[in-house]
Amino acid sequence: MKTQVDRKTLSTDVLIAGGGVGGLTAAISIKEIAPELDVLIVEKQTCGYGGKANKGGGVLQYFDLTKMDPWDFVKYHANVIGGFLGDQELLAKYVSMNNHMLDKLTEWGAKVPKNPDGTYNVMPTGPATAIIGVDLDITLKMRRTAEKLGVKIIDKVAITDLLKKDGKIAGATGFSLLDGTFYEITAKAVIMATGSQNYRIGSMWGSGRGDGIAAVYRAGAELRNVEFGNFAQLVRVRSHTEVVYGENFMYNAKGEHITKNFLKEREPDISSKAIREWYWAMTNGTGPVHLRFDSPQSEGGAPLSRLWDRPYGQEFWRLNHERAAAVDTDTEVCPLLIGEQSPIKVGHDMQTTIPGLYAIGDASYCGSAAPGAVPAPPGRNRGSGILNAVFAGISCAESVANHAKSNPLPEVDKEQIEKSFTRVFAPLERESGCTCKDVIRKVQEAMGPMEYSVYMHADRIAQALAIVLEAKALVPQMKAVDFHDLLSCHEAEAMVLSAEMHYRAAEMRKESRGWFLREDYPEMDNKNWLKWIIVKNVDGEMTFSTEDVPIEKWPVKPMA
Amino acid sequence: MIDTKHEIVFHPEKCVGCGLCYKACFVDVIRWDEENKKPVFKYVEDCEHCFYCESVCKRGAIEVKPNYASERLLQHFDRYR
Repeated sequence: MKTQVDRKTLSTDVLIAGGGVGGLTAAISIKEIAPELDVLIVEKQTCGYGGKANKGGGVLQYFDLTKMDPWDFVKYHANVIGGFLGDQELLAKYVSMNNHMLDKLTEWGAKVPKNPDGTYNVMPTGPATAIIGVDLDITLKMRRTAEKLGVKIIDKVAITDLLKKDGKIAGATGFSLLDGTFYEITAKAVIMATGSQNYRIGSMWGSGRGDGIAAVYRAGAELRNVEFGNFAQLVRVRSHTEVVYGENFMYNAKGEHITKNFLKEREPDISSKAIREWYWAMTNGTGPVHLRFDSPQSEGGAPLSRLWDRPYGQEFWRLNHERAAAVDTDTEVCPLLIGEQSPIKVGHDMQTTIPGLYAIGDASYCGSAAPGAVPAPPGRNRGSGILNAVFAGISCAESVANHAKSNPLPEVDKEQIEKSFTRVFAPLERESGCTCKDVIRKVQEAMGPMEYSVYMHADRIAQALAIVLEAKALVPQMKAVDFHDLLSCHEAEAMVLSAEMHYRAAEMRKESRGWFLREDYPEMDNKNWLKWIIVKNVDGEMTFSTEDVPIEKWPVKPMA
Repeated sequence: MIDTKHEIVFHPEKCVGCGLCYKACFVDVIRWDEENKKPVFKYVEDCEHCFYCESVCKRGAIEVKPNYASERLLQHFDRYR
C-alpha cells in the first residue's frame, strides 16, 4: 500500500461520533449520570461549530404544559403532520420533556431568553404552543460545559467504519482530515450523532452527508423510513435563500394566488403540496412562481431574528440577508432539495438493532419513528430540530451508561481493522479513476429535481434510480488526491447509498402520506400501508421488508 | 454544494491569528498555518457561502463574496418551459 499514515489506538467507555448539539447533549448527560465513565467525542470538523444547530433560525419549540396535555399535541401531529406513522408514545415523551429540556439547555450555558419574572420569553403560535429563540453559540457553550465535565474531544477526525465483536458494538475506525492518521478506537458503547443525509445540495444547516448512516448500514443495523428523506424548501432563485412560510404567498405568472389551490387554512410549515403546485405551474405554462407578501412582516424569517436579543446569531443572519438582498432583484422562487434522510432505526432508548450502538438527533429522527411520515426536523414542526437532538441525547444517556458499565472493554478483531484500513484508503491508492464530484453530481441529478424526489411517480422513480445506479457503478473507481478529497469520496458513496434506498423504498410505498407524495398513488392507504419499510444490509445485499405500525396500542387512530 | 465559485477575500494585515475562522468552517475549506498563525483558504470550491468565517472574525480580516449563480438549483427549468 503506498498510503503512509500514522496509526493511533485509543480506548474509551463511550465513543460519540459527531459533536453537534445531539452528541454534546449525550456526552454531558452521560457524564451527569456516570462521571466515572470516559466519554470521547470525535468530530470530523470542529465540535461546537459543526452540526446544524448553529446555522439555523435558532428557534426552540415550546409547550405550555400547564395548559395542555402532551397527548393533545400527539393527536394533532398524527392527523396533520405525521400521517399516523409516528410512534405516539415517543412523541408524547418528547412533548412531556419540553420544559425540562429548556431548563437543561439553560443550565449548560445556552442563552434562552427569559422575562424579568423568570418565565421563558416565548412567542405564541397557538393556544398552548409557542416558540422561543436561542442564540447560535449554543453548541460552543455546550462544548465548554462538556469539557468541564471531563469529556474528551478530538476534532478533524472522520469516523468511517464500526467495529463489532460477537454481534455487539466494539468501537470504530476513522482518519484525520489533516494528516490521514488512522484511528482504531475500542469502545463499550458507540453513539452515532452524525446527522442526516442532505446530498450537498442545499447549503447551511443541511450539512449532513450521510456517512454515519452508511457506516451503520454497513455494520448491519436496520434502517427505517428511508423514503421520508426528501424535504424541500422554497428558495429565491437568485440567492437561493430559503423563504420560510413562503408557501403562503405563491402567485403564478397570471397573477393568481396559487397557494389557495392547496391550502385551505394556514399550516404549521411547508408541505409537499406546495412543491407540487410549483411543479404544475412550471409545466402547464403558468410559471414562474413569485411571492407577493401581504405585509413586510411576512417576508422570510427576518422578523424572528429581531424578536429576541441574540448577538451571535444576529451577525450571522445579517451577513446572509445583506449579501442575498444584493442579488435578489425579484421575488421568483423555486424549491430546493434539502433532503434530511434520517433513517437509523432505534428504540426509545435510541439503541439500534446492534447492542451497544446508539443513534441520536438527525441520524435517527425518522428511524425512531417519532415524527411519522415526514422528514427530519423541521419536518413540518418548526423548532423541533434542536430539541429533538436534545431529547434523543438525554433519552439515550441512561441506557448507554448502563451498557458501558455492564460490559467489559471488547477485544477488537484485527482483521476487521485491517479490512477497514484498506477500504478507507482505497481511493488514495488508485492510479486513475473518476472524482468524487463525478459521483456527487450524478446523485444530485437524481435527487434534486422535484418531480423525481418529492412529487414522485413510478416512471420517474425508475428514471431517477437509473441515474443513481450509474453513480453507484462509479463508486469503485473514485480516486482521491488528498485526505480532504478522501472524506468527500466516502461521503459520495454514502450519498449513493441513501439515494438508492430512497428510490427503492419510495417505489414500494404505493400511496401518499404526510410529506410523501406520489402522483400515481395520491391517496393515503391505511389498509395496506400503515407500515414501516425496513432496510438492512444482509451480506452486502440491500434487503427490504415491512413492519406493521402497532396502531392498535396507541390512542390516536385514523378515521375509518 | 460542489464546484462553487465563491470568493474569499483575506486581509492578512488585519488578522490576529485567533483561528476562529478555521474552526468555524464546517466544510473544511479553511486550513490553519500553524507556523504563521494564519488561515489557508485551501478548498474554496467547496465553500457554501455560510459567512461563518466572516461572522466570527471580529477584526474584519475576511470577506466572503458569494457567486450564487455558481450554485446549482438542479431543477429542469429548460424542460418545464
